[in-house]
Amino acid sequence: MAFPQKAAAVVGVYTTEQARGMERSMWSLELEAIKGALDDAGLSHTQVDGLIPMAYETPLNLHMAWAEQLGGRPITYMDVGNGSSAVAKATNAIAAGMANVVVIYFANCNNPNGPRQLKVQSKAPRVPDWQFMVHGAYMSVWYAMWTQLYMHEFGTDQEVFAEYPVQMRANAMLKPDSMMGHKGPITVEDVLSSRMIATPLHLLECPLDNDGGYAIVVASAEIARDCKKDPVWVLGGAEATFTDAYMTIPVPWNEPKGQAVRRCTEMAFDMAGVTHDEIDVAGLYDCYAVTVARDLEEMGFCKLGEGADYMKEGHLYRGGKMPTNTDGGLMANSHNGNPSGMHTIEVVRQLRGECGERQLDDPKIGVTLAQGWSVHGLAGTLVMAAD
Amino acid sequence: MEIDPDQYLRPLPRKEPFNAPFWEGLERGEFLVTKCRDCGDWNWIPYEGCRSCLSQNLEWTAISGKGRLMTFSVVHRGPPTFGTEPYGVALVEMKEKPRSIVVLANIVETDFDTLEIGMPMELVFENIPGENITMYRVKAA
Ligand SMILES: [Zn+2]
Repeated sequence: MAFPQKAAAVVGVYTTEQARGMERSMWSLELEAIKGALDDAGLSHTQVDGLIPMAYETPLNLHMAWAEQLGGRPITYMDVGNGSSAVAKATNAIAAGMANVVVIYFANCNNPNGPRQLKVQSKAPRVPDWQFMVHGAYMSVWYAMWTQLYMHEFGTDQEVFAEYPVQMRANAMLKPDSMMGHKGPITVEDVLSSRMIATPLHLLECPLDNDGGYAIVVASAEIARDCKKDPVWVLGGAEATFTDAYMTIPVPWNEPKGQAVRRCTEMAFDMAGVTHDEIDVAGLYDCYAVTVARDLEEMGFCKLGEGADYMKEGHLYRGGKMPTNTDGGLMANSHNGNPSGMHTIEVVRQLRGECGERQLDDPKIGVTLAQGWSVHGLAGTLVMAAD
Repeated sequence: MEIDPDQYLRPLPRKEPFNAPFWEGLERGEFLVTKCRDCGDWNWIPYEGCRSCLSQNLEWTAISGKGRLMTFSVVHRGPPTFGTEPYGVALVEMKEKPRSIVVLANIVETDFDTLEIGMPMELVFENIPGENITMYRVKAA
């Protein structure tokens, strides 16, 4: 069976303000994002018949509540997913006649990922038995351990990874609503002299940890042609997982055969019928530089252990052969908790040609990768094409 | 809220009923892992079924407590209840095979400057004062 290429398109995207310490509810941010993305498409909420909320825990009664919020009409397609795979699954559902207009959305408010998540209480809080916070091993600690192992296995210089945030800051400076762009450029020296967070990661090597929301609207080809802006066509996409979230790690951690990211990327590229060389723009999950190195390896842009070299050669920076995270990514644009849809939104905007000062020269094909939940434990890949 | 430096305020496991033998083992100085009686494989973290053959015929079995340092981090910015001094977090790959047992734990009784990937490590046990639980940690062997 072939993936229903171009049966649907991304027709609307929207990001709310991305900031720290917002006094908003998640619901309010999600609703703003949904309205904004529908408006971007020129569609009405009465046309929505599919929902993919990306809240951390998404039981079916969440879909039910949103069905009522959106007018109390039958919603006929309810799913879960990440910022890449949800778009592919929505396309599939639309091709099968299960829905016509699917909204994918997320928001986060006052729910930090970093050490701030743990409030001081008068007695030791009790948590599930294998929960990582028992050991103070929040996200940056896991990725610090991954970075340490990667540098040890492949002899990566600290400077190569420290260049990544420098480039992302430069990208964010071209995006007026990015969180860090207005702070101006940074150097590798700035990165390596910033406060140590968890060895070997310094403050400027860690992602942001902010509030904000976003939404993506996927519609059938028929509807897409009449929308306000040019459709961005879905060529293929897939998702994969292999391990429980942040409790233990398989050996080897950097599996030469690849794991979830490899699997869903091979599937997505096969479905789309594109090769690695054809990608003009990418949005790769980039919570830390090591994540990007491993994204590139698992996705097949280079071999195991060569991801850092690929970064060093500048292929994913501006002017490189595959500009990546042109919005500044998770370190300089926004990391709003479950930000994988942000990568998809930036690639959609690039393929539409609406990125202003940071617009690439006529990109035709883009790829996005979502990953997370136990470092590459859960992944999704999406291939899209400009109209 | 003020932090009393003498009180243990970091999160602690609930001790879920399925894992009761594990927590009782720690009190005796044993680290128990579910070993499959049918195929012999180890299963960490504990699940109802063996990952290799899905058998539910599992036995809580003490492991050697010896392993090697798979990777680590010295954390300088932790949650407030982890104090102001850096703390160590490790992933230790235990000796038992074939399916690897990788234990996430804090590093104790070890000079952080001497940590090196691959070095021998061992499990140790720490009774938490004022709480009904013994925790597992790792240190240089
Ligand atoms: Zn078995």
